[in-house]
Amino acid sequence: MSSQALKPIVPVAAEGPGACASSGSDSLEGRSIDWFSLAIILPAVLILFGFLLLFFYGVYQSLTDLRLGRPIAKFVGFANFIALGRTADFWNSVRVTVTYALSSVVMEALLGLAVAKLFASGVFMARALRPVILLPLVLPPMSVALMWTTMMNPQSGIMNYLLSLIGLAPFAWISDTRTALLSVIMIDVWTYTPFFALIIFAGLQGITDDIREAARINGGKAWATFVNIELPLVAPHILIAAIFRLIESLNQFDIIFGTTQGGPGNSTSALSVQAYITAFQNLTFGRGAALMVVNWLIVLIGAFFTVKLWRAVRRRVQ
Amino acid sequence: MVALGELGMEEWTQKLAKCPREDYMGRSFAVLFTGARRYANSLLLTSAFFAVSASLSNSAAAETMNWRQFEGTSITWAYDIHPYADALAAQLPEFEKLTGIKVTPELYPDDSYWSKMTIQLTTKSPAWDVFGTGIQPAWDLAPSGALEPLDKYLGDPKLTDAGYDFNDFFPSLRSALTWKLEDGQVATGDGGQIWAIPHAFENIQLFYRKDILDKYNIAVPTTPPEMANACEELKAADPSITPLGVRGVRFWSSIHTAAVSIARSYGVHDFVVKDGKLDTGLDSPESIAFHKDYVDMIKKCAAPSFANDNWYQVVDGISSGRTAMAIDSNMFGFWNDVAGKPASGKIAFAPPLRAPNATSFDSNIWIWALAMNAASEKKGAAWLFMQWATSKQVALKGAVAGQLVNPPRTSTWQDETWTKYASQPEFNNFVDSFKKTQDHAALAFTPRVGFGEAMNAWAVAMQKMVNGDDVETTLRALAEEIRAGL
Repeated sequence: MSSQALKPIVPVAAEGPGACASSGSDSLEGRSIDWFSLAIILPAVLILFGFLLLFFYGVYQSLTDLRLGRPIAKFVGFANFIALGRTADFWNSVRVTVTYALSSVVMEALLGLAVAKLFASGVFMARALRPVILLPLVLPPMSVALMWTTMMNPQSGIMNYLLSLIGLAPFAWISDTRTALLSVIMIDVWTYTPFFALIIFAGLQGITDDIREAARINGGKAWATFVNIELPLVAPHILIAAIFRLIESLNQFDIIFGTTQGGPGNSTSALSVQAYITAFQNLTFGRGAALMVVNWLIVLIGAFFTVKLWRAVRRRVQ
Repeated sequence: MVALGELGMEEWTQKLAKCPREDYMGRSFAVLFTGARRYANSLLLTSAFFAVSASLSNSAAAETMNWRQFEGTSITWAYDIHPYADALAAQLPEFEKLTGIKVTPELYPDDSYWSKMTIQLTTKSPAWDVFGTGIQPAWDLAPSGALEPLDKYLGDPKLTDAGYDFNDFFPSLRSALTWKLEDGQVATGDGGQIWAIPHAFENIQLFYRKDILDKYNIAVPTTPPEMANACEELKAADPSITPLGVRGVRFWSSIHTAAVSIARSYGVHDFVVKDGKLDTGLDSPESIAFHKDYVDMIKKCAAPSFANDNWYQVVDGISSGRTAMAIDSNMFGFWNDVAGKPASGKIAFAPPLRAPNATSFDSNIWIWALAMNAASEKKGAAWLFMQWATSKQVALKGAVAGQLVNPPRTSTWQDETWTKYASQPEFNNFVDSFKKTQDHAALAFTPRVGFGEAMNAWAVAMQKMVNGDDVETTLRALAEEIRAGL
């Protein structure tokens, strides 16, 4: 289909400027309007435009005092952002968001690397467990949250029962301000480590045996081969997975809202959760939109630097 | 199914059927002992005349209200997945037979229902015609014109059955659902409009496992310090039991049960007017005293999962016997006392706790009410459904089925069918405790737009204090946050 669409353009380009001059109408037709191609890409353009429109509408709402249930919204400029910046709760939400995302991604990358290496080893149990370990990825995040809420119940949850088997005292998990953030990070790590493992495993499979063989012949021990050969080669894969996960973790809503709703107090009140509560429970939609815009900016900055790092690492590997 | 208008006639028919029997005895007596048969006959004729006249006039009134005037219409009724919804859904075929109106129920889980409702109404979607709401969400929705005021429907004899009797609802429920809008803000007082009709309600009580308290010989506490002591005794006697189930989630619903009911008896007010200006009373000396007692009680009594506990956990605890006492909506105790339930007969009731120096207690109310979407394109049919769903007959039938509890109509509480049912031994002192509490039950929050935002902040502050933050400092910060939003 695409080769047909390109047909009118290709000859014009091939014949060069002289041909253009001799058949001006043809060249204009070929260069400027290819209706068939336009029709093909139009839905994609419209969808993209729709997304952008919604996004910019959201940004516009963050500049108003829109309140659900009140008929009129006034343009207030950056008042919502200024008001947010003056509250300690906002900065706490920024801290929670960044801590949650960075901790989750780093732990998932390390554990994912270990699991992928185990898979690549070809040990029988590792081969057998490969499909099983992907299970958390296919569970809906809200179900994961509810499951862990039950398991982390300080009185009746299985987690404290397991701790008691090894003689450890009960842990408060998601019910205490001091342990709640760590607990929700743990749930994220349990859910998404398989994602890292899958991508890194694919990277490890791409390293040919002759490279490892060359290292072995040169006297490289297993650890040195891993650190100096495999890890650098697989680093772009780790970073690609990190980009996806960082974006998701910075926006994480389901796991946090499903377990703690941002509490106790504000201890797990990430920006996405606080934005939802502000917009849909407190009904102050303009303020909620402002929180979403801040969240988007953090995601943008985080993704920008991770992509930069990925490019640098990829260049180095190549 | 009998039409509501026809029911009036039916009552009169029963009276007519009854009259001749009574008069027959009187007449025989007259014939035998006084010979005044003629007098008796004339009395019979007169009474029959008045009865028939009344019947006809009632029948005429019923004719002005035609239940089939919107026959063929289809409406959508949205509600939370709840026993109250089940009670209405079970009787829907009768309504459809009566009116010819098709009702499609849209029931959503509690967690998603409220967000869905906010979106549907604020976007002026006509998809829902009738929906279930509490008073508090309605405060935030009314200023946008999302709710249809109901006075004109109630006052229209062509739309409202003569026997409907709106004044039959408990006064505290009627007043809670009546307010006016002034400059986009909710205001109480004269001239208010009716925004929703109650079809069941909850008052906040202390309910407890009789078997557990009896076993450990623990008296029912009446104040937070007494409760704290009782909890320590219970924990010492059986560490596996959670002494008290209370909601603690980070949402105002955790405030509206135990916290605000007890706080009112300490003299705490969410909002006050200071020097002619609206202010919050949550950093007042009374509030500090209340929070110190309440936080201490929660630390000694509630489950370690307090911050994650919603009504599901509270009810689960009391029904399973893992929790000895609970302060929450009284009908949760009732529903678990119903014959056949594992906890049947084991849950008894008491008024909510009060301040140690208070002479009386306070109980907040939550009203499940039916409201009409102002964007509905089938308002007439919607009103007929609301009227039927909140009628005396449906309220009574739903109550006796053990579902529409507490019934919001005083007539239901005077009806022997209901009082006999609710006084069965398995319900323990439910009726007595209800009557005692209802005298002190009223809406404990100040009606206003922005209620949710302020009260959610209170719930967050409560979690902070229970987790160890200083009470006075936290309350000052909370009050500042609320003031910034006024």
